[in-house]
Amino acid sequence: MKTTDPGPLLRVRNLTVTFTERRSTPWRRPGAVTAVNDIDLDIEPGGTLGLVGESGSGKSTTARAVLRLVRPSGGSIEAAGFEVGSFGRRVPIAYRRAVQAVFQDPLGSLDPTKVIGDIVAEPLGIHFGLRGRERDKRVAELLDQVGLASHHGGRYPYELSGGQRQRVNIARALAVEPKLIILDEPVSALDVSVQSQVVNLLEDVQERTGVAYLFVAHDLAVVRHASDRIAVMYRSRIVEEGPADRICERPAHPYTEALLAAVPDPDPARQRLQRERRRELRAAAPAAGPRPATGCPFAARCPHRMPVCAETFPGWTPVPDGGRVACHLFGGEGTARPSDTHPDYQETSR
Amino acid sequence: MSEVKVPAAAVSGRSGSRLLSRLVQQRATLFWAAVVLLVVLAALLSPLLSPHDPLKGNIREGLLGPSADHWLGTDKLGRDVLSRLLYGARVALLAGLEAVGIAALIGIPLGLLVGYLGGWPDRIAMRIVEGVMSVPFLVLAIALISVLGPGLTKSMAVVGVVYAMTLLRLTRGQALAAREELYVDGVRVAGAGDRRILFRHILPNITPPLIVQVTLMIAGAIIAEATLSFLGLGVQAGQASWGSMLSDAQASIRESFFLALPPGLAILLTVLAFNQVGDGLRDLFAREAKGGSLGVNPVHHESGSGQPPPPGLVAADPLLRVRDLTVSFPQPGAGRVTVVQGVSLDVAKGEILGLVGESGSGKSVTAMSLLGLVPDPGRVAASAVELDGRELTGLSFEELRKVRGGAIGVVFQEPIASLNPAYTVGDQVAEVLREHEGLSRAQARARVVELFEQVHIPEPDKRIRDYPHQFSGGMAQRVMIAMALACRPRLLVADEPTTALDVTVQGQVLDLLLELRAETGMSILLITHDLGVVADVADRVAVMYAGQIVEGGPTEDVFRRPAHPYTEGLLASLPRNVRRAGRLPSIPGVVPPPSAWPVGCHFADRCPYARPQCLETPVELSARGDDRATRCVRAGELTLAGVGDVPAAGEPLPPAAGRPVVKADPPLISTRIEKRP
Ligand SMILES: Nc1ncnc2c1ncn2[C@@H]1O[C@H](COP(=O)(O)OP(=O)(O)OP(=O)(O)O)[C@@H](O)[C@H]1O
Ligand code: SF4
Ligand code: SF4
Ligand SMILES: [Mg+2]
Repeated sequence: MKTTDPGPLLRVRNLTVTFTERRSTPWRRPGAVTAVNDIDLDIEPGGTLGLVGESGSGKSTTARAVLRLVRPSGGSIEAAGFEVGSFGRRVPIAYRRAVQAVFQDPLGSLDPTKVIGDIVAEPLGIHFGLRGRERDKRVAELLDQVGLASHHGGRYPYELSGGQRQRVNIARALAVEPKLIILDEPVSALDVSVQSQVVNLLEDVQERTGVAYLFVAHDLAVVRHASDRIAVMYRSRIVEEGPADRICERPAHPYTEALLAAVPDPDPARQRLQRERRRELRAAAPAAGPRPATGCPFAARCPHRMPVCAETFPGWTPVPDGGRVACHLFGGEGTARPSDTHPDYQETSR
Repeated sequence: MSEVKVPAAAVSGRSGSRLLSRLVQQRATLFWAAVVLLVVLAALLSPLLSPHDPLKGNIREGLLGPSADHWLGTDKLGRDVLSRLLYGARVALLAGLEAVGIAALIGIPLGLLVGYLGGWPDRIAMRIVEGVMSVPFLVLAIALISVLGPGLTKSMAVVGVVYAMTLLRLTRGQALAAREELYVDGVRVAGAGDRRILFRHILPNITPPLIVQVTLMIAGAIIAEATLSFLGLGVQAGQASWGSMLSDAQASIRESFFLALPPGLAILLTVLAFNQVGDGLRDLFAREAKGGSLGVNPVHHESGSGQPPPPGLVAADPLLRVRDLTVSFPQPGAGRVTVVQGVSLDVAKGEILGLVGESGSGKSVTAMSLLGLVPDPGRVAASAVELDGRELTGLSFEELRKVRGGAIGVVFQEPIASLNPAYTVGDQVAEVLREHEGLSRAQARARVVELFEQVHIPEPDKRIRDYPHQFSGGMAQRVMIAMALACRPRLLVADEPTTALDVTVQGQVLDLLLELRAETGMSILLITHDLGVVADVADRVAVMYAGQIVEGGPTEDVFRRPAHPYTEGLLASLPRNVRRAGRLPSIPGVVPPPSAWPVGCHFADRCPYARPQCLETPVELSARGDDRATRCVRAGELTLAGVGDVPAAGEPLPPAAGRPVVKADPPLISTRIEKRP
């Protein structure tokens, strides 16, 4: 299918995921939480889309919906030529081959009763029917690809360091030569010095195999480094999307701006500026109000809040240097000019 | 240490042998396992061991006392008690195996299935289980047997079915929990089908608790057999069973008191042995699961080198003075390993000292050891730990507890987990006040409201009545900070206070810390792995690597001109909000575990500047200038890159201060919208 239509590898439209909460008391009606609300995403073959947002914003739920680990309540997901919504209880094995995943908790995502070699070998048996010598050879190759020695194959997950465990997870994902890997916070649990090793490894793998990534993380600096494009999520909505550098240098959405101001920098001089900026934005923010049921999810914290913000969710406005933003400041039909509206982000400040 | 989250690896392979070696240390369990083994042998070998036929006896030789021919005497019908006892063991074990076997065959697969599937099959199964289990076990068994007729096989089958309910419930609960584990998602994404997930992955992981339960159930089944046989519902009349022996003994209790003893003791011992083995196994698996418990560990006094630490780690006017702090833990097979080696540092009055390092570097252990909070088998020693001139080494745990929460406040990483979910936050903070300051209820309440105001919790008089789960992470951390501030501490120890928080919230908490320091003049020992946080708030920084401080000095200087290769590598590998310039620099390799630390420089196997001389002798901290310290033999010859040197081509500086502060007012809209012409 994909060969006839060279469209995006992943196309998500109007995805909505709602969870019913467990009832706290039998006589109360179960509440519902909308974890993901009407979002769109596209990833080109071989590309990387970063998905950032704070905890609970719905990033992982989005990732899990694409993996069919949760069932969406609305919208469509097309990935690698498959219509994910049409799957029943059983996910086609071919889809599992095309779309793989690496999760945040490197230890938790490995079966503690299996040795590394068996963990990496499992998909080889399931998908290619590989056995015996042939399979061992491929396992050794895969371990080598992710920078592990073959003697690691005989170890249990808890006997490896965090970075090594994440390499095992990557090796397992690579075993089936997927087209898309969903990376849900793949480096958040790792130490700084190991984090960059894993980011580099992911990059090498992409260069070699042409795999595409959905890179979910809360750390904007890591995401910027790893992604071509970034989508910013806030409380179940995507509020801004665009090329990584544009988002990080000339953010349009007030939430993206606040997020950027909060990223700490190890350069104390730069960090002093960051801190000022952070305080300024907070001073300008209104006293935390209730979160509006409709309208802009950021309204409760936004320094630019207008009456209309509490009523309707803003439509999309294109941003000149790429991407688009959902914010009433930028009107509906007009074109947002973040470089005009944010004097400090103008070219001269470089 | 926290690495040891491995309950289930218990079952096979090399971890099995590790389990075995742990078992050897559990003497009591071994003893009871030997008792079980004896019973099993007696049962197996009863035809060989029995001196007489258990069923035949000479009625004229009835009720004899113990003698050379009949070691345990004879019963009323003249049958040899010892032989009957041995054959009884056989009956007891077979009965136990039958019941438990049936229970396992029914309960485990069904439990797995309904736990994994959930939904209506689960609900139906659980209703049935609850129904069956709500009737007392023996009443149910007797009722069923009265329908089916007596007989050992039938009655034990009934017991088995009843036990199956217990196993079903246990397995279902375990499977339900395992289903949510991330590794299940992992194998599902790898393409594994339901059956494979269930039997290859979930079952091995939940085996340990099942083994424990099954062992305990054998004991229960043995009692059930004895009870039923005693009541005449088990073995055929005349057959040797401990229960029927007891019943015989009861019949002749007036003539011979002794007869009840052998079967009674046999039941008691066997049941006790199975129970003890079951409990032992539970301990064994549980110990695999957790690393160790939070314990009490005062700081022992030990004379140190006497050498003053180099500048960079000392302060002219120290509030906290630590010298030669060493922490060690026992490690199986390796004796004791030292995880913190000779840490010396000062925290000046009103200063924020950042203690940075990667996981396993020893930064948290360092801070916790000062408070006596090192997990139990650990040993803490120092030549001096002085707080405002008061020596803390050698204090008892009780005395240390007064210092902690009094002069020292503590804030941990997981704010919500550190609060007790069962009490309102107001009560929890008030309790600290009443205990340490002896305030009355009303006084404490007023002070809590004041503290909540100080940490900017909105509507403090309402929120003190809320429970921890009603707070967001950032607000819960404010509560923790309020609690730490309750007794106006001189020193606040904050262990990763913002790591669990979102960046936007992290900024607010850091600002709060800075503000509180300015208000109260307290000192803060800030432990973190995040160099950005250190750059933000710390006046001075101490960098730890593999149990040692490797560099210390004023934050800005250290970050601009690091003097240790590790600091350089750490700064370089930190992803920053700058335009991408090729691959991220990284430090190769991993932090070695404490048992593998070399004699020489701990960083040597990852250091790009390493030379043979680095590994020869322990590397000491040396002075660099008049306010820096570094632990590197090549410090003098190396020029290392710091944050200022990061190529930042094309990146804009963060927006300059002085940008007009925008208020939440509509007019702004006109300046921000650029309509297309
Ligand atoms: N199984 C579930 N049942 C009920 N609510 C859920 C469930 N899974 C997630 N949620 C809720 O959905 C929302 C989004 O969660 P999600 O895990 O997608 O966030 P996230 O952006 O990945 O956050 P983090 O950075 O903490 O991982 C949260 O409010 C969360 O509590
Ligand atoms: S829509 Fe309104 S509240 Fe939302 S970000 Fe834009 S200005 Fe702020
Ligand atoms: S002592 Fe040698 S190995 Fe250690 S940090 Fe210095 S140069 Fe590197
Ligand atoms: Mg997540």
